[in-house]
Amino acid sequence: MRRRILTTASSNERFLRQIPLIGEEGQERLARAKICIAGAGGLGSTIATYLAAAGVGSFRIIDNDIIEESNLNRQILYRIGDCGERKVDIATRAIRDLNPDATVEPVCSFIDAMTVNHLLTGADLVLDGMDNYPARYHLNRACLNLRIPYLHGAVNGFYGQATSVIPGETACLRCIIPRPPDKGKVPIIGVTCGVIGSIQATEAIKHITGSHAALAGRLLIWNGVQGDVDSIPTLRSPDCSDCKRYNPMDEKEEI
Amino acid sequence: MNVKVKAFALFREVMEKETELTLLESATISDLLADLALRYPGFWDMAFETPGVLKKFVNILHNGRNIEFLQSLDTPLADGDLIALFPPMGGG
Repeated sequence: MRRRILTTASSNERFLRQIPLIGEEGQERLARAKICIAGAGGLGSTIATYLAAAGVGSFRIIDNDIIEESNLNRQILYRIGDCGERKVDIATRAIRDLNPDATVEPVCSFIDAMTVNHLLTGADLVLDGMDNYPARYHLNRACLNLRIPYLHGAVNGFYGQATSVIPGETACLRCIIPRPPDKGKVPIIGVTCGVIGSIQATEAIKHITGSHAALAGRLLIWNGVQGDVDSIPTLRSPDCSDCKRYNPMDEKEEI
Repeated sequence: MNVKVKAFALFREVMEKETELTLLESATISDLLADLALRYPGFWDMAFETPGVLKKFVNILHNGRNIEFLQSLDTPLADGDLIALFPPMGGG
């Protein structure tokens, strides 16, 4: 087996083409970053792939599902031979294959009110790859309480949306979307997960490397039917039940 | 007064990306939606469950704030307001 020569992230040949963009310091910041990907489905696959390739150093990946053949149109971490395996195990292998220097913590768990705080603790950033709003609202609220930026994304057919929630600064998910769509399976095609997951990963890279998360305080909506993207400014709502619970002065507030 | 409406995703199937409306000074979100329904066939059926009751997925931002946190359909409008209509996406 060929031994890898241990180097600093910024001297690694793999990142030569991106260091002109983010700088050596930016590359080192990516290597030090601890991100949590909540959901290893279509969005999570795209996010994990690009952030592993970009050199993010620590991943916690949360999902409690088994890979099924019907996932493969969009969940690009997985191959046909992976069906029946736990998503977090195959995702962990795929991330390490792309970046052997990465630390990956697979967590096979459901995200609910009881588990969410524990699951997110210690993360610098949370990326939303969930497929339902109850879980997203748990992430949103926990991120507000733990002061962790929450990079939201969601898809339906050829449409997708993304926004970056910065606790105490921007509107939270519930401020923007207090009326979630009905539960249930929606049509999904991989390309839309690719677009939105890439936008979330872009936000992550910029946030980690010290530049502005462009979607902080804005909701972006991608329309793949018409090949159009647009965004709208969003504001915190003082009466939002999640934001209201968030009190910047109270460092020990529990959910 | 003049207000601008931006439509997203599913709403683009029945209306333009941006619509400029001229409304009475006392107009509310409800009046704005009625105006859109006159202008765009199909809008009413897409947005409303029954008269006065929006379908559950319809989210409306008024200058960046969701009208659920304002006065819902009775939210008053002012000249230059930006209204966004969108159905949130749910999958991942």
